[in-house]
Amino acid sequence: MFYQILVNGLIAGAIYALVAAGFSLIYSTTKFVHFAHGGVIALSAYMLYFFYSLLGLNFWLAAGLAIISGIIIGVGIDSLIYHPLRRRRASPVIILIASVAVLLILESLNLIFFGADVKSINYLDIGSGWTIGPIIITSLQIFIVISSLILLVLVFLFMKYSKIGKAMRAVADNKSVAEIVGISAERIYAWSFALGSMIAGFAAVLIALEQNIEPTMGTALMIKGFTASIIGGVESVAGGVLGAFLLGLAENFGIWWLPSSYKDAIAFVILFAFLLFRPEGMLGVKKNNK
Amino acid sequence: MASAYIVHLLILIGIYLILSLSLNLSVGYSGVLNLGHIAFYGLGAYTSALLALAGAPFLLCLLAGGLVAMFSGFLLALPTDKIKGDYLALVTIGFSFIVYSLMLNLDDLTRGPLGLPGIPRPSILGFQFNDNFYFLILVIIIVLIVYLTIKRITDSPFGKLLEATRDDELAAKILGKDTFKAKAFSLAISAFFAGIAGSLYASYITFIDPSSFSLMQIIPIISIVIVGGLASLPGTVLATIILTLIPEALRFVGFPSSILGPMRQIIYALILLLILIYRPKGFWGKVELE
Repeated sequence: MFYQILVNGLIAGAIYALVAAGFSLIYSTTKFVHFAHGGVIALSAYMLYFFYSLLGLNFWLAAGLAIISGIIIGVGIDSLIYHPLRRRRASPVIILIASVAVLLILESLNLIFFGADVKSINYLDIGSGWTIGPIIITSLQIFIVISSLILLVLVFLFMKYSKIGKAMRAVADNKSVAEIVGISAERIYAWSFALGSMIAGFAAVLIALEQNIEPTMGTALMIKGFTASIIGGVESVAGGVLGAFLLGLAENFGIWWLPSSYKDAIAFVILFAFLLFRPEGMLGVKKNNK
Repeated sequence: MASAYIVHLLILIGIYLILSLSLNLSVGYSGVLNLGHIAFYGLGAYTSALLALAGAPFLLCLLAGGLVAMFSGFLLALPTDKIKGDYLALVTIGFSFIVYSLMLNLDDLTRGPLGLPGIPRPSILGFQFNDNFYFLILVIIIVLIVYLTIKRITDSPFGKLLEATRDDELAAKILGKDTFKAKAFSLAISAFFAGIAGSLYASYITFIDPSSFSLMQIIPIISIVIVGGLASLPGTVLATIILTLIPEALRFVGFPSSILGPMRQIIYALILLLILIYRPKGFWGKVELE
């Protein structure tokens, strides 16, 4: 039982990690909460459904198109909504409210174009499970965990070694100094949205394989994603990933004792505790700002 | 037929008025960015509906709905001393999500997604409010009480303390004011009225389910408050009337009802985005959200 819960927690954590990684990446450079990130994931999942199930394209082609749609939506939201708000120096709170409104628009579009009923992508066979000692795990779940780990390592390498990645970290660290040495912050914001939304699109494909696609899935994923980010430290992608696995484990071990209807409540209690006692998160550095 | 429709609209406007006036008390006057107002509304509705179904008299249900919401508002106020700005907004979003998730998952109490049907119409001292016209009069009386109470609070020295807390909390603290108490009080009162609104809604529609109280339902209310202007009660009243009526026009265009709901949400979200970008003080407001 213990090992099965451990595995379930890690699988949930891998999905949360994909949500949190893109969210944290965008937060780290732009310093505002892009709550519509969950909506980008949901819409990308619907695009996969559209290209794969409705148009009947090859799965890998459809997945690629879904990820590209995610990037277009993410960069589009930044340039249409957040850019004008930044230009008039709106506070982060205003941008947060705007991003909730954007999330609502994305969810409503899902409802209008695809209806309220759940959709599923039956590409990989979920049924075929492997039994390793006391654990049952499906090949799909192994695929999800491995591919999310590969993606996260690639993002880490990109941030560490590529020129754009270095510029992104420079803006994240100190925007004014980065601009003095000639890095355009606005361009880096666009890159952050592109990269963050690419991770969102990737997350959408994996989530669509494992779970049903629902119009409001974006909100639920976002709540978990930002909880994970806050646990780990909202300004660091590595922190978000760590927080995601901890959250996945905490939820799955929590419902060992509590009724499963309290699963979401566990996430909220953890979020609340961290915001109250360690708002900078586990890997975050305490900064002297309010 | 037409007059029945107008009475129905007026009742909805009345319930929305209670919600938006009370949200303006916490967001507009005391600057507590509360995006979880719908949770108070939902708690009021469920408390009142469960009591009414158990046979309690209407006034008791109304009061209990308000008090349960008020208590949760007080709880939500506890961290406002430490958590501020967008972090606080995230806590209130998380709170709203968790209340929704509990409504959906605590099947034994709330019947989950099936909702609670057959909630009795109000009856005060033997007088039955079965006719919508009488119900409208009840709503108007309560709206007036709420409006005058909030006006009285905001005109009083305590109201000035709330505005001082919003504008410069440190300065208010230096003058020896207990700003935490002020914020907690305004949030509790605001939640109390939202609970009353929920109780009225439940007894008017006679059926509630979690979908009426999802996180995203905050968007119409926050749009009203920002369009009308923060800390402007007449502005809120005008904005409530205008914004409740705008989507009604869709009804006459002849969209199917499955599209009508999401279209309505998109309209509210777009209005909110436009006002945030082009006129952040709203139409009758004096201060900008920070």
